[in-house]
Amino acid sequence: MFPVVKAQLKKDIRSPWLVILLTLGSILFTYIFTYVNNNEQTQTTIPIFSSDFNSSEVEEKWEPLLNANQDYVFVITDESEAHADVEEGNSEAAIRLSESDYQIIAASNTQAVQLVEDYVHTVFTQEAQLEAASGSEDIEATRKQIGGYLEDAPLQMQTESIEDGEVPEYNMQLQLLFGFTLFLAMFTIGFKVNGVTSDKISGVWDRMILSPVSKTAMYAGHLFYSFFIGFIQICIVLVIFNYVMDYNLGHNFGMLLTVSAVFTLSMVSLAMLFTGFIKTPEQFNMIFPSIIPIVPVISGVYMPPGLISNPVLLFIADLFPLVHAMEALMDIALFDAGWNEVTLPLVLMLLIGVICMGVGVNLVERRTK
Amino acid sequence: MIETVKLSKTFKGKKAVDEIDLYIDEGESIGLLGPNGAGKSTTISMISSLLKPTAGDVKLNGKSTIKNPAEIRRILGVVPQEIALYEELSAYENLKFFGEIYNVKKTILEQRIQEILEMVGLKKPQKELVKTFSGGMKRRVNIAAALLHDPKILILDEPTVGIDPQSRNHILETVRKLNEENGTTVLYTSHYMEEVEQLCKRVYIMDHGKVVASGSKEELLSILSTEDMIQVTLSEMSDTVVEKVKSIKNIRRVDATDKSLRIISKKGSSILSDLIHAVESEGILLTNFQMETPSLEDVFLHITGRTLRD
Ligand SMILES: Nc1ncnc2c1ncn2[C@@H]1O[C@H](COP(=O)(O)OP(=O)(O)OP(=O)(O)O)[C@@H](O)[C@H]1O
Ligand SMILES: [Mg+2]
Repeated sequence: MFPVVKAQLKKDIRSPWLVILLTLGSILFTYIFTYVNNNEQTQTTIPIFSSDFNSSEVEEKWEPLLNANQDYVFVITDESEAHADVEEGNSEAAIRLSESDYQIIAASNTQAVQLVEDYVHTVFTQEAQLEAASGSEDIEATRKQIGGYLEDAPLQMQTESIEDGEVPEYNMQLQLLFGFTLFLAMFTIGFKVNGVTSDKISGVWDRMILSPVSKTAMYAGHLFYSFFIGFIQICIVLVIFNYVMDYNLGHNFGMLLTVSAVFTLSMVSLAMLFTGFIKTPEQFNMIFPSIIPIVPVISGVYMPPGLISNPVLLFIADLFPLVHAMEALMDIALFDAGWNEVTLPLVLMLLIGVICMGVGVNLVERRTK
Repeated sequence: MIETVKLSKTFKGKKAVDEIDLYIDEGESIGLLGPNGAGKSTTISMISSLLKPTAGDVKLNGKSTIKNPAEIRRILGVVPQEIALYEELSAYENLKFFGEIYNVKKTILEQRIQEILEMVGLKKPQKELVKTFSGGMKRRVNIAAALLHDPKILILDEPTVGIDPQSRNHILETVRKLNEENGTTVLYTSHYMEEVEQLCKRVYIMDHGKVVASGSKEELLSILSTEDMIQVTLSEMSDTVVEKVKSIKNIRRVDATDKSLRIISKKGSSILSDLIHAVESEGILLTNFQMETPSLEDVFLHITGRTLRD
């Protein structure tokens, strides 16, 4: 087995560019996309103003209440300036405030405007409820009272992460980081497994069959090497983000690596299954890269969770290891999940691995006959 | 040593190899000749245990190798028709890889690699990548890769197709040395008659999956002992002149190329005056006339009605 691994390694040391490019690609993509994503979030600025007689009072009342959310920044602005901002497209919307009512000013009814509207509506409704509850009494006191009551309610529903502590906000940046890393590793793994077909076509495979090396060792050599390179690539990217770029990948780096290893294993098998259906390495290089990019899309890697509800797509996504790896990685990094919580995705990935490997190797062997 | 018994292979209803019987004794060098698609490579694949025969058997010292190919694989070196190497690695690295998979001991592998590189004349460029090599150099590495474990039997499948004469001579010389000095048994496949004539004591001629003739060179040539071979060159060529020559008594076969005719006639028959007459009646001049000793090529033509390379 080791001569086979060594030969593959030597080839890659000669021309390491594919692996290097894909590794750098993971880092660069994640960096760029999360950067853009972050900027967009902080820049959703909404001008607010009031044209009532007690405008400054009204503005000062609502400004802190609206700004309790981190997605938007509400800035008190001059009325004409607010109108200009919306007209020129600098802001999606502006809001005219009254004592207990509001009016959205927008150029068109986009989804973004809808989201702002929803949010503002919630804030105003809550406030109205508070006012109603307190009757004529001091609203501020009621707010405090209710706040205190909620903190120590007789019936408590606590949302907690699996281990302990608060539920952190969902982190899209982290999802993209894991997503890109695994996605690009899928290419590396595929291209390495394709070495089996290359050897078959070149005739090196037949030479190995005639040698004392067993068939198991031949497959093992190629597949171990593919695993090794794919896993190293994922490790490098994760280490760079965790230790060099100081991204917060949670408290259990070792578990992240373990999940990545199982993912890599299962992707090696999936690539082997592809190999079973193709004849030449060139065919593989055409088909594999045109199917793989669909996987993260249907696996919902590029979107916040829960947006894909089509059962067919969900089912197809479940057949690929990516969705399970993402689930496990996010649970570990975000919610401090323990081994028990990631058992299911790990088992599913291993299952995919075993089935694909079995079918793949069988197809390849049958083709030879 | 090796023997095939009614060895046959059918691909999707098409008989690629049809009941072939051949034997190779220890130390012999055997030629397997045949045009494209004759079934040479298929035969070799079955002998070397890479392909399961549809019917028949391959025996090594009387024992069938089909169920248990380990024995024959151990003593066999196979040079495949295609270049089966890692082109992204150097010649040296390739040989090292094949030496390692053949479990050649570390202590002797290095020396063995250098010996073989010397033998195929690639000692100098051994550190260069195979993909930068010329076709001839690649072929030589392809052969070298089959020699690391010092095989008792060497099977070469058209090891000289499409290469320069220098590399070709080098390869022929290498194979000859292996056979004569090292005692390696050789099965050499080619569609170049001259190579086989030069290298092999005994020849099998294949066509359409069958062995159509076999024996030593002399035995094969004696097939033509009842015929003369005449080569004539004409000032111009026409279809009618070919027809006229064909109709001459005692002429058995006429093959026309560009401006010459290759004529096979009954031995000792005097056809010359008829020939000159036939040509001149068409207003054509006979510019050259030559009696030739028949070659294996002519034997092949005689048996199959085709030239080896058409
Ligand atoms: N794997 C295969 N599947 C189907 N047909 C095949 C296969 N291998 C060979 N054949 C057919 O069997 C016949 C013999 O092929 P083979 O390669 O043995 O000929 P060859 O004598 O080696 O010819 P060449 O000089 O071109 O190498 C050919 O007609 C070929 O098309
Ligand atoms: Mg052939």
